[in-house]
Amino acid sequence: MHDITGSFGDVIQKQLELAAQNYELLKKRGIRAVNVMGAIGSGKTELIIRMAEKLRERGLKVGAIAGDVAGDDDYQRFRAAGLPALQINTGDQCHLDAHQVGHALEDFPLDQVNVLFIENVGNLVCPADFPLGTDLDLVVISVTEGDDMVRKHPKMFAQTDVVAINKVDLAAFVGVDPERIAADYKKVNPHGKVVFTSAKSGKGVEELLSALGF
Amino acid sequence: MHEYSLAQSLLLGLQEYLQKNSLPGRVVKVHVQKGELLTLSEWALKEAWRILTEETELSGSELVLESVPVRVRCPSCGYEGQARYLVEEGWHISIPVLSCPRCGSPVEIVSGKELAIVGLSIEETPTPA
Repeated sequence: MHDITGSFGDVIQKQLELAAQNYELLKKRGIRAVNVMGAIGSGKTELIIRMAEKLRERGLKVGAIAGDVAGDDDYQRFRAAGLPALQINTGDQCHLDAHQVGHALEDFPLDQVNVLFIENVGNLVCPADFPLGTDLDLVVISVTEGDDMVRKHPKMFAQTDVVAINKVDLAAFVGVDPERIAADYKKVNPHGKVVFTSAKSGKGVEELLSALGF
Repeated sequence: MHEYSLAQSLLLGLQEYLQKNSLPGRVVKVHVQKGELLTLSEWALKEAWRILTEETELSGSELVLESVPVRVRCPSCGYEGQARYLVEEGWHISIPVLSCPRCGSPVEIVSGKELAIVGLSIEETPTPA
């Protein structure tokens, strides 16, 4: 038996390099970007629209990229809310990656925005391994998913800057304690920020923007 | 479930290497370092490799995975070393915490996110007498 050692290329390093290219492009255009992750139905799209309304009141120009396996429902919702938007269909891939986002940035009217929300595919596992080149990562959890979401997906939360615990107005109806989700998150990520939100009523949206540095 | 796409990327990189370099025999083991922060199933990665290499020059080769612990660097106090791991009853997995084990400040990741081929074991073809 004969052994050869050496470097044959790190496939995650390749992703980091592509993400760094996206980051540089966004910085050059003066755009602050947020990667919005979370399960299907957690309220990512609605929360982005609510944040966009508030940011536009402050005179900022906001756009969104919708990442989905198929369809353009989220894109249509962003457009109906008056946001410049673009749809990425991943073709069954369970997450966005920096390569896809790089192409989307070529097609996006970047001169029309200074804040860009990139809504990832609804999934709490795979997006954690694929940086996109955004300034921050936000994960949206809805209380209807149960209060064990962090314990079921700890590595995702260990690497996420901000968590929005959404639909808090429904917590009592589904018997979920939002504080328990927040406590689990602080265990895996002592530096992360938690905000309780209700996208429907607008509760917590200002606090979320402030947690994201806006 | 992104094991197949990443296994495919590993395979393409190795095939590129094999096109440029002649080996003294058949590749029987492919040694891969996998960072502990990645959300990858070892079983699925090995199965993806087995299926993707079928009918290629790497058919029958085994993916040997070495887990790389998370190492961090603290910009505040200068600590560099292994991350603290959170072990909670009922979680069934230990979680690397991205916080300085010495001073509690936010840290940078030094290692623990890699997925790279770092070696090959070759079964040498006997030279004809």
